[in-house]
Amino acid sequence: MRGPIFPEGWLEVIDISRHFGGIMALNRVSFQLEQSSITSLIGPNGAGKTTLINVISGLYPADQGRIRFQGENIAGMAAHSIAARGIGRTFQLEELFGSLTVLENVMVGCHVRSRSGMVSCGLALPSARREETQEREAALANLQLIGLEHKAGDPIASLPLGERKLVGVARALSMKPRLLMLDEPVGGLAAHEISKLVDLICRLRSEGLTIFIVEHNMPFVMSLSEKVLVLDGGALIAEGLPEEIRRNEAVIKAYLGEEVAVA
Amino acid sequence: MKPVAQFPLPFMVFALVVFLLPLVVSGSYVVGVMCFVALYGALALGKGVLLEQAGIFSLAHPTWFGLGAYVTGIAAVKGLPPLMAILLAAGFVALMAFALGAPLLRLKGYYLACATFSLMLIIEIVIANLGSLTGGHDGLMGIPPLSIGGLALEGDRPFYFLSWGLCLGTYWFLNNLMQSRMGRAILSFNDSETASRCLGINVAAYKLRLFIITAILASLAGSLFCFWIRYIMPALFGFPLLVELITMIIIGGGKTLYGPLLGSLVVMWLREGIHTYLGKVLPVMTAEVDALFFGIIIVVILILMPGGLAGWLERLRPAGRGARARTNLS
Amino acid sequence: MSLFSQILQYAISGLTGGSIYAVLGICWSVVYLITKVLNFTTGEFVMLGGMLTWGFHGAGLGLLPASLLAVAATIAIAVVMERTAIRSVRQPSEMVYMMLTIALASILKGIILLKWGSETRKIEPMFGNAPIQVLGATLTPQVIVVITFLIIVTAGLSWFLNVTLFGKALRASAVNPTGAKLMGIDISRFRLFCFGLAGGLGALTGIVTAPITFTGYEIGLLNGLKGLVAAIVGGWTIIGTVLAALALGLLEGFCAGFISASLKDVFSLLVMVIFLVLSTYRLGFRRKVP
Repeated sequence: MRGPIFPEGWLEVIDISRHFGGIMALNRVSFQLEQSSITSLIGPNGAGKTTLINVISGLYPADQGRIRFQGENIAGMAAHSIAARGIGRTFQLEELFGSLTVLENVMVGCHVRSRSGMVSCGLALPSARREETQEREAALANLQLIGLEHKAGDPIASLPLGERKLVGVARALSMKPRLLMLDEPVGGLAAHEISKLVDLICRLRSEGLTIFIVEHNMPFVMSLSEKVLVLDGGALIAEGLPEEIRRNEAVIKAYLGEEVAVA
Repeated sequence: MKPVAQFPLPFMVFALVVFLLPLVVSGSYVVGVMCFVALYGALALGKGVLLEQAGIFSLAHPTWFGLGAYVTGIAAVKGLPPLMAILLAAGFVALMAFALGAPLLRLKGYYLACATFSLMLIIEIVIANLGSLTGGHDGLMGIPPLSIGGLALEGDRPFYFLSWGLCLGTYWFLNNLMQSRMGRAILSFNDSETASRCLGINVAAYKLRLFIITAILASLAGSLFCFWIRYIMPALFGFPLLVELITMIIIGGGKTLYGPLLGSLVVMWLREGIHTYLGKVLPVMTAEVDALFFGIIIVVILILMPGGLAGWLERLRPAGRGARARTNLS
Repeated sequence: MSLFSQILQYAISGLTGGSIYAVLGICWSVVYLITKVLNFTTGEFVMLGGMLTWGFHGAGLGLLPASLLAVAATIAIAVVMERTAIRSVRQPSEMVYMMLTIALASILKGIILLKWGSETRKIEPMFGNAPIQVLGATLTPQVIVVITFLIIVTAGLSWFLNVTLFGKALRASAVNPTGAKLMGIDISRFRLFCFGLAGGLGALTGIVTAPITFTGYEIGLLNGLKGLVAAIVGGWTIIGTVLAALALGLLEGFCAGFISASLKDVFSLLVMVIFLVLSTYRLGFRRKVP
């Protein structure tokens, strides 16, 4: 039995709008995410899903609205500050670091948890060296979590797509985030890789992590989510349990462009 | 996979060779050239990190070197103790790097290069025009020797050890930096600034800090240069120096940390060779003529051997370390 | 001299300088927009135009043949550079092109220095030296030549790019190289054309202004850089570049006249730096980013 720990919701998005050129990419979007939940965001292409994640993570500012995370308004904050407050994410196009090995990529996730500055690192002070060892161990543990510790020293480019996406997740997890946002995590993955990811997500949720997933893959979304949000043309058109969304006429119309009865 | 040692073997061997060299070689010619190698090498190391590892296309290094030299020289001429003059120069340069870096580092890629290039020219002209303070075009003369506790350090030998101390120290510091979490952060924002920021890395702040640190290192090199040569002119710190530094980085290859130092070795000795053998043949032998040859080298290397010398050396290394795309090996 | 005449005088010398920057700015733009190469030898084309003319003239050729030969030689040099060096770059990026062309510029400078020494040289004006009085200020016929040249180049190039088929194809390939290739347009010939054009225009500018501003192995650097300033401030368009260049030249002229001649270069460079930095702040105007 889980009850909400923060009555007003862990993440609250209130009236967020954002336009690009003349187009309203996000139109007064409002919703809440509760702690230790798995919520998914679906919608047709161009609906504004990635824009929403980019706004929450601070890559672009919203034109109006507020975003309250654990009670604090984070809308308009710099991306690195938002990350430091415990919001981690993955990217649709991975955005992994090609110059670094697999392990080093994951270690960059640990960066936000350490303190050593440029001078301490340059002088190789004991505190810096200690943190280095800690980071390495933490990153290796996360690699074990996704089953890729045997590839720790390999260059990123040598991994197939599915494994690269998992590395992206491990990297975000190294931040020890409280909210994890996954942007299209299963695009291009094979079936066994998808089930590996599902297991991982369920395990993370049972450990208390709040997870927000943007995805196209319907079976994945429906099987995993406790709540589904639907975005179309920048506006939230539906919100509810997976079965409700599946039968929702507005949603069907948005995807198929016409009224079609669902079996 | 344990963390890399701070004093790796190749580094120690190199340091040993460097420190034994003056005892083996007689006369001061070689020692003198190697002083240049060390000082310019220190500059090139810092610039290499900015350019290649961090992706910050700042062409301002000659400026920090020059300002370090000038502030040290002016302060020493006015009677300030040498060590204080050096610290004053470093502080001044750090302040300038901070004040100018904050707005300039917002620029990307070649816009930053153009802006810092202009800055280099502006400061060169300004120095040349502040005749009463700086000696103008003809330069600042009569700089007193570096003396520590009454002991005056003059001549090539003491400066050989000081310069190589600075150069190797710079390398040690930068190597530690690049092997640490900061180094990973720097490489990461060069690859994907977006992902870095979303992982909590304050990219703008780190760029500025790295910029300031390398500027201070350049200033220290400039201070040593000032006390060694004891006569500095604005022309020493402008476009020809920039071409030399770029040549060093390109020859050495930017992918490794030590590449630019190799480049410095090659470039300085090449310059000596050009001056010695072609000096009688060619009607003019100035920095611009040097730049001609360096230009040819840059063109040849960019086209035929983009990885530079270090890139070629790395390919000879056994594959034991794994195929790392960009290495910070010592 | 009355204040008005002074202003006019400085304006005239400023506009002369501005005309150089304008044509250079156009050379930068044309090459950059079509080939994405930041060509730092642009300034050297001006130097080559003037110095080669002086050299050939001194070797016995008449002024006109020497000029024509100089222009042809510069075009040849530009084309050869593009064909051999610039095309062969294995990891093309803006920074690599920048370093490569800076290196090429050093080579050109060094060769001219070795051949003809470091003194500044003069070419006789084409239409004599009789000063013309305008409202209290003096100008020589050469100034009129320079300004006419600028007008012809600007008008001619605008017409060429907007009206002729070749020019339109050129602009299309700048906007969408892949689409252009699919239409059967040969991009590599366009690149050659652009470099050749930059070489020719640069050389002509050098020849036309050498009687006024003199010429020497090192004039390429600052002039080229100011041309770049004009191109950047002008948003890489022809009209914008010309206007920016003339404005820059005018301000430089006033600075040299009223403040100090040796600081006028600082002034232009500062304009570049400040403009670049300000454009990163969203101040309500959007600079066109190429």
